[in-house]
Amino acid sequence: MTKRLVLTFVICLSAISLYRGVTPLKAQAPVSFSKDIQPILEQNCWGCHGPSMQSSRLNLSTLEGALRGGARGAAIVPGQAEDSRLYRMISGLDTPAMPLGGPKLSDEQIGAIKTWIDQGAHWDTGAVGAKTGPAPASSFAALQNAKLPPGARDYWAFKLPVQAPVPTVAREFSNPIDRFLEKVREEKGLKAAPRADRMTLLRRAYMDLIGLPPSPEEIDAFMKDTAPGAWERLIDKLLASPHYGERWGRHWLDAARYADSSGYENDTDQPNMWRYRDYVINAFNDDKPYNTFIKEQIAGDEIPNRTDDSLIATGFLRAGPRVRNHEHANPARRYDYLDDVIGTIGKSMLGLTVQCARCHDHKFDPILQKDYYAMEASIFGYVEVEYPLGPREQADAYMRKMRDISAKVAALKDQIDEIDKPYHDKLALEEIRKKYPPNVVSAVEKPESERTPGEKLIAIQVLESGSSNRTAAAVEKIMSPEDAAKKKALNDQIAALNAEKPPTPPLASIVTDGDWRSAELGYGDRNEGACPKCELEYVGAGKFLELGPGKGNYKVPPSYFLIRGDPDSKAYPTKPGFISVITTGNPPTELPPADGRTSGRRLALAEWLISHDNPLPARVIVNRIWEHHFGKGIVPTLDNFGKMGEQPSNQELLDWLAVEFMNKGWSIKQMQRLIMTSEAYQMASEYNDEASAKIDPEDTYLWRYRIQRLEGEVIRDNILSVAGSIDLKMGGPAIFPHVDDSFIKTLFRGIYRNPQQDGPDQWRRSIYIYQKRTLPNPLLQVFDLPDMSQSFGARYTSTVPTQALQLMNDNFVLNQARLFADRVKKEAGDDIAKQIDLAYRIALTRSPTERELSLAKDMIQSSSLVDFTNVMLNLSEFVYTR
Amino acid sequence: MKHIWNRREFLFRSSGGIGGLALAAMLHEQNLLAQTPANDVCAAPAIGGNPLAPKPPNFKARAKAVISIFNTGGVSQIETFDYKPAMSKYAGQVLGGDVRVHDGRPGPIMPGIFKFSKYGQCGKDVSEIFPNLGSKVDEIAFVHSVWGRSDDHVQSTYEMQTGQLRMGYPSMGSWITYGLGSENANLPGFVVLQDARGGPLGAQNNWLSGFLPSTYQGTPFLAGDNPIVDLKRPSGVSEAQQRLRLDMLARLNEIHAERYPGSSELAARISSYELAYRMQGCAPEAVDINGESDATKKLYGLDQEITAPFGKQVLMARRLVERGVRFVQVFSGGLGVQNKDTWDAHAGMRENHSQHAKETDLPLAGLLTDMKARGLLDSTLIIWHSEFGRMPLSENGVGRDHNPGAMTVWMAGAGIKGGQSIGASDEIGYKAEKQPISYHDLHATILALLGIEHTKLTYRYNGRDMRLTDVSGEVIPQIVA
Repeated sequence: MTKRLVLTFVICLSAISLYRGVTPLKAQAPVSFSKDIQPILEQNCWGCHGPSMQSSRLNLSTLEGALRGGARGAAIVPGQAEDSRLYRMISGLDTPAMPLGGPKLSDEQIGAIKTWIDQGAHWDTGAVGAKTGPAPASSFAALQNAKLPPGARDYWAFKLPVQAPVPTVAREFSNPIDRFLEKVREEKGLKAAPRADRMTLLRRAYMDLIGLPPSPEEIDAFMKDTAPGAWERLIDKLLASPHYGERWGRHWLDAARYADSSGYENDTDQPNMWRYRDYVINAFNDDKPYNTFIKEQIAGDEIPNRTDDSLIATGFLRAGPRVRNHEHANPARRYDYLDDVIGTIGKSMLGLTVQCARCHDHKFDPILQKDYYAMEASIFGYVEVEYPLGPREQADAYMRKMRDISAKVAALKDQIDEIDKPYHDKLALEEIRKKYPPNVVSAVEKPESERTPGEKLIAIQVLESGSSNRTAAAVEKIMSPEDAAKKKALNDQIAALNAEKPPTPPLASIVTDGDWRSAELGYGDRNEGACPKCELEYVGAGKFLELGPGKGNYKVPPSYFLIRGDPDSKAYPTKPGFISVITTGNPPTELPPADGRTSGRRLALAEWLISHDNPLPARVIVNRIWEHHFGKGIVPTLDNFGKMGEQPSNQELLDWLAVEFMNKGWSIKQMQRLIMTSEAYQMASEYNDEASAKIDPEDTYLWRYRIQRLEGEVIRDNILSVAGSIDLKMGGPAIFPHVDDSFIKTLFRGIYRNPQQDGPDQWRRSIYIYQKRTLPNPLLQVFDLPDMSQSFGARYTSTVPTQALQLMNDNFVLNQARLFADRVKKEAGDDIAKQIDLAYRIALTRSPTERELSLAKDMIQSSSLVDFTNVMLNLSEFVYTR
Repeated sequence: MKHIWNRREFLFRSSGGIGGLALAAMLHEQNLLAQTPANDVCAAPAIGGNPLAPKPPNFKARAKAVISIFNTGGVSQIETFDYKPAMSKYAGQVLGGDVRVHDGRPGPIMPGIFKFSKYGQCGKDVSEIFPNLGSKVDEIAFVHSVWGRSDDHVQSTYEMQTGQLRMGYPSMGSWITYGLGSENANLPGFVVLQDARGGPLGAQNNWLSGFLPSTYQGTPFLAGDNPIVDLKRPSGVSEAQQRLRLDMLARLNEIHAERYPGSSELAARISSYELAYRMQGCAPEAVDINGESDATKKLYGLDQEITAPFGKQVLMARRLVERGVRFVQVFSGGLGVQNKDTWDAHAGMRENHSQHAKETDLPLAGLLTDMKARGLLDSTLIIWHSEFGRMPLSENGVGRDHNPGAMTVWMAGAGIKGGQSIGASDEIGYKAEKQPISYHDLHATILALLGIEHTKLTYRYNGRDMRLTDVSGEVIPQIVA
């Protein structure tokens, strides 16, 4: 492990030193590339790293190739031979020594190359495909100085929203929303629907705000409240319900690509991520101003007066899929993770597909590739840490203590390993003799000096790969008493140290600034399964968090513009920054906190996002709110306000709302109050004006209320609620509803604690269901739960037979239908008409029509109430808003 | 909210424009609840605006269906179809250059451990572990120069199945179902048949639809008479009860739909119950292999313990394709003990590949024979692939590590030119050397055989028109005669 760590450092150093600048030339005779250097390279290097073959992706036959380097990084750093991989490898400073398998270059040759590099590595020839060299900095100047195309800002979404005067329209409206909508309706000749009946509105408000149906008592109370302001009172009551956050938090989790597992092969459990989910629920319940909500999620570790909550909020940045295995062996993955973060910020908060600019300038929107890498530099300190909650000093002390103990234990374990080694080898040899073919055994048995190179490899492989019989018990059996005594003493010391370990406090999965290169094994490499304690030993990446105030000297590791997005093709070193086309003036790109623990780059990014000078975030969130109330955004593509997205159906309205939203303190609840008190929101859905239907068949301009299929979560929650079996306990670790064994059979690693059968302990709201990336909940998934890998905009509404199969045949639904019937019997007594009326009121927030009543009576009389409640849970009206 | 059914759909939804209730009554009369529904009912195609309605290809298709045989874990090219006699002269030597292995350290070069013999008119060298497939080589085009981008199982599996190393992208089957729809309304257009031991590496993301609507995701079929989860009516509900429920549901839903004239969504929802109802009869029938003749069963190895499980999978695949399913994804290998139950032969090439080849060799040959005899082979593409190949190097003297540098893939059917070997790996099977074929090239080729121009199969997402082949992909030119 130690060895690998050192190697990683060396690689990074040589890769990053490329742009340190050129040191003054030494007074030495200039070395000519064509005369002195090219022949050396041609003869010794080009065979593998030349025009016909680029082993390790390295091509030393062109300046560009040498600067770009290969899989390990740049080969030459002009002016800095000591930092140049080419020089270090031919001189034996780095391994593997080059030329690989060939004779070492002569001292003169090595010296010539060193001098040539130190003199600036001038490439003075047109060698095979070689470019005669401009200095590296200037060769990337075009990328660095890329400018926006003329007129780039002349697109509605890139201009700041302004409030147009509220239009005057023929019909009288008190809510500005209606006047903006009516203006368009007037222009198009659309006739708006009348207000829906009160019972319909009641159901609509419950579904929209809390995702649960009103109880019969709540229906009665509302219907009795005929005093003015009853509707407003209802809205306020529902906005104040703790279940509001569970409904609206779920919308945000779609945008945050939230899951409880890491994804990929191991799909590792992320045992602390649920705190982020609860943070989101609470933020909505508390009506946390949206600008604060953004700031905490982007930079909750950097803001002054950070709290447990603000630290947990940074879980937003790391909620995406991560491999969490072999991370150090695959450094390129880190760029995918950063891309995931950039993409998620872009789509969820900016409504822009920033990711398109990773490999080239965005093809449709004026987002430059250099903007992308400026954004990347803004988050480049990114490290993931499991951090203790509680008072900061206490948490820091805990971290220090754990780190201290871990370091001491590791040192002691090294000593034990040394004692064990001869015994291990002996045991291993015994096993190898039993298990492996003769050629392997003979390779291992030979003294090292007699092994062929191939035998050396196989011997190391076999000896390192571990064997099953090297258990502590087996070793003890054959150990000498002295060694056993030494080992025991060491083990006693370890035990004593472990006993000093403080109890594990609650942990949060956070993001902060650090140095990913010092994360010992890569994120979670040792964190298989739910083992939060294991992870604590590997938080080297977050060590700056522990420093006392004023003691930090954190610096972000260098980041680079990557040509075509290729981590091996580094161009110039990047500075933090933003998307040019929506940046006004020169906002700060770093706001370093006084304690020096972090760079303050993410804080600056957050401030840029929530600035009134940024045209997008307010529009984007207001549009999301609108979509969740009306079933379609003013801009239907919630996550793309760019040219490839759909255009706004009423930009004046959107802009008016966005400005209003910012002016009124970024309050989501206030925006919802405004929307829900509009006539537009209260329009009937059962309304058909033929002329309007002809002009605007898709109801783009809102002349009637659009009914919407409820999300899978709301359908499940409604089923539980009408059955009277829902457990409304809030928050905490996820629940695992029973799924068919065939789903469990598809699982590899990670967890899904599948209960033997469906049961009341699983009957909590769906937002608490374990979000496993390789096993989405089947019921939610069939009703269009979005993929958890990427930030998602508007959900789909697909209609497929497998939905019908689940609602008709799944045991969960059947169970609840029975409980629903029991509840109805208990509450309505034996009178069938009363039973039907109550069932309708519970499930659909209305009484049945006479026709429905008579059909239902016939059915129940000829079969049973359960058959009828089953039907109710399958009704279109049950899974749609009204 | 994006609605998948468009507004015209309802009128044209079912054969002859029969309305919901009438159709339900008709189905009832035909006694669809009985075990074997009338074939013509089960064979009805989806039409009109149903998102799974068949769609015309871009140009003339050679095949209309795909059976994809994915061998999870990573098949060794060197031990199967990519004969490397030259390796013996390098046995035990160190491979030069910057060698990267997935686990631990690289070992020395290890020649193939199985014997090869020449087969067919083309004289193809095939490993002793595939004697039956050997007899089919004249039907098969081998591609020896396929290379991928990751040496991790799941990333490379995703690359093969979705074109992307990162998770969350639509699978090939989803893309194809999205592009071509399905020929049969009463069965899913994209069916997954997993190994009896468990799912493949990468789990459900092998067949999920990513950013495509979930309509296009694969539906796993299980062995037995209840192939789809929740397909069958529960044991506590009698047939009469279910009929009663469905009739009542249809009535009440029609009353509801009357309140929203012209709502195609609500109409689609009513029709989805009819489809579900028909699926209850049609899906079990589609995968019920009891009615197959003994000769056919023998052809697929159902009479032998070792070949029976995979034999059932591919026989089911044939039946599904016969009934108009567009894409059948069959997995060989599944998660139990990874090094044993998948092709991931780190710890014992001989045992591992002997076993998995034995399980699949006879049934695959049987599938080719049967498909041809039934005239289905010309209109069906069969592709045999894996997430990557394996290293020419020894792992502990007994196994091989992952190698995305070279893999062998084969294809048959779809009018491709059999008996040929396309591309080549280097003399030790380490890297693709001649005519390197990327996974996107494979995808472009598969789509082309189905009549789809791969650059035209797009879906607007994330601000651009996404493709299975992303920004690359070239059709293998010599694949067809």
